[in-house]
Amino acid sequence: MDELLREFLVEAHELIEQLSSDLLTLERDPDDVGRLESAFRGFHTLKGSAALFDFEPMGSALHAAEDLLSAVRAADHVIGREAVTALMDCVGACEYWIASIERTTRLPGDAEDRARKVGEAIRSALQSGKAPAPKTVIADEAVRSLLTKFETEIREARNAGGAVTAVRYSPHEQCFFQGDDPLALVRSVPGLINCNVTPREPWKVEGFDPYLCNLVIEFLCAAPVEDVRRIFRLLPDQVTIVDAAVESSSAVNEAVEKSAMETTSRTLRVDADRVDALADIVGELHVATNELAHAVRLAKVENPGLAQVLAEKHAALDRLSRGMHRAVMRLRLVPLGGTFRRLPRWVRNVTDKLGKPVEFSIAGDDVEADRTVVDRLFEPLLHVLRNAIDHGIEPGPVREATSKPTQGRISLTARRDGDQIVIAVCDDGAGIDPAKIRAAALAKGLVKERDLEAYDDEKLLSLIFAPGFSTSAQVTDLSGRGVGMDAVRVAIEALGGRVSATSKVGVGTTVQFTLPQAVLITTVLTVRVGDERFGIPIDVIAETVRMSPERIVAIRSGRAFVLRDRTLPLLSLASLLALPPAARSQSETKVLIVKSGGGLVGIEVDGLSERLDVLLRPMSGLLSGLPGVQGTALLGDGRVLLVLDLPELIG
Amino acid sequence: MSVVLDGEFIRLVGDCPVEEAEPLLGHLTAGGPKVVDLRQSGHLHTAVIQVLFARQARVIGPAGERFVQLWLLPLFEDGQTIAN
Repeated sequence: MDELLREFLVEAHELIEQLSSDLLTLERDPDDVGRLESAFRGFHTLKGSAALFDFEPMGSALHAAEDLLSAVRAADHVIGREAVTALMDCVGACEYWIASIERTTRLPGDAEDRARKVGEAIRSALQSGKAPAPKTVIADEAVRSLLTKFETEIREARNAGGAVTAVRYSPHEQCFFQGDDPLALVRSVPGLINCNVTPREPWKVEGFDPYLCNLVIEFLCAAPVEDVRRIFRLLPDQVTIVDAAVESSSAVNEAVEKSAMETTSRTLRVDADRVDALADIVGELHVATNELAHAVRLAKVENPGLAQVLAEKHAALDRLSRGMHRAVMRLRLVPLGGTFRRLPRWVRNVTDKLGKPVEFSIAGDDVEADRTVVDRLFEPLLHVLRNAIDHGIEPGPVREATSKPTQGRISLTARRDGDQIVIAVCDDGAGIDPAKIRAAALAKGLVKERDLEAYDDEKLLSLIFAPGFSTSAQVTDLSGRGVGMDAVRVAIEALGGRVSATSKVGVGTTVQFTLPQAVLITTVLTVRVGDERFGIPIDVIAETVRMSPERIVAIRSGRAFVLRDRTLPLLSLASLLALPPAARSQSETKVLIVKSGGGLVGIEVDGLSERLDVLLRPMSGLLSGLPGVQGTALLGDGRVLLVLDLPELIG
Repeated sequence: MSVVLDGEFIRLVGDCPVEEAEPLLGHLTAGGPKVVDLRQSGHLHTAVIQVLFARQARVIGPAGERFVQLWLLPLFEDGQTIAN
């Protein structure tokens, strides 16, 4: 694929994302002029680029979209819902076409047909639905509040003739350290009419730092815009300057356009492969540093003096290598918003199709995660949302009968929790009925009736993630093959995360993903089984216990023991791995207490060794499907450590 | 000296550069009601003004500097102007 086409595809993705966001906002706020303009620009730009490559059907569909928006702007109309829907369909078609071009460098065979349909829908929307538009409409929030705050003064000043400029000055927190004196700058503005100073964040009583600037200064002056701009020329990113003498809406639009252009991108576009290559080298550096530690240990025997010097150097090297690793990891961090933003449009399509109005809210889309995690979250999230809309949210009449608001509510939230990320999808639907789970589990033979009696509601709920589980009576077109939750669990666990669900009948359901923010370095505990060493990721281990063999009780065909008033099953790692069991120690049994399927399990090992930070390499090629193995790690002495996936082994 | 503690009053005398913010904060957070007297003040650095806002200080004017007097003093809830 040639370079130009590649660039077109990158740009197209961005334009489509922006268009989706604009159209969704326009649906809610049809008089949002800023978004209307942005959508127009988006279609126009995309049309122009598509024309370069002779993607004629796409070009003609985009042309129709551009015409519609042009007419709306010219006639100063409010854009109708039918028009927005038609435009969204156009964006959807473009997205599909872009995907096709990515794969085959060509549009699909039915592109002409589809483009014609899209064009017709747009043109018909143009004929119908006109409404007199409210006149002035203000886009940018900051500018809007600025002009509202000084409304009276602006009117007076305008009536008096002459220039009126409104400014919002939000100095950087660190500006004092750069020698700035914001209020002094404001003092130098001629013709001050009004001035207001407010805190950006609420004042802290404890821990207030007098040398960090927390002020926002808004003022109105009778000086012309250019003069004010000159005064603040060194701080363009800290001020919003609006010419308030001109008609409000155009002043605002001009300001918005200007600020959009002035936002110099402080980002670099870098090929993801290059970052990956860098990450690989840094990983190798980390491993090499560990190998040095091993050599230092050997040196201690031969030459303690030298070993001491080497140890110090190694420590310094280790610090640098870790620092570099952290820095490279940060390169791979992208906001979850990248994936989250693709969801609202899809949700809207689905809820429309099902006739279930749903309010879909997103929070925490600025939380960052490794880009692999962010990319691979899309499918599982889609599955969970599908379930929530299809099975969770009840149809209108049912909701009315239970006095729930007609609009269902689904929220997607993300937050940081240490070095983990927690993502939750919460719906206020019918909830999951434990009785139904019980029945389905029995029917599918997943659990024996006797065992099922011991299950509490929490454990029952975790069954929905078990393979082969599905409570829906029919496999709907929407929920696909009905194996959604199992696939979700597998996908999330492949990322090193965990899934869980909580639910209350009649109230709603929450499905939660807990994921590591970083993907590369894992802390493992090395354990010995016979003569073999294995690594167990530390986050799966609740604790390690050494106990005398008397505490172990034989139960049916297995073993169990009591730990602080809880009876836990005891499995042997040797048998899980189908390795010959070592001679059982008479003095003590070493057990790992492992989190598995919502409960705890004891895993007997022959020896417990050190904790290590390792670069986990996933299995590749023929071995990538190997169950029970998360990957391999290279040890300091050159050996390969197999890192196990205990929960998968336990099953 | 720009920040002078005088019994119940903290008097700002002359120009108060950025370094005065911390001593001013210190006086305001030490025990006892304090009123900040701006009548002999000159140019006040933003950081100094910020301290007054953050601690919701009670201030007495008229401030020595025109900008402070015209635009900032009215922003203090308790700002009183004592006629000289």
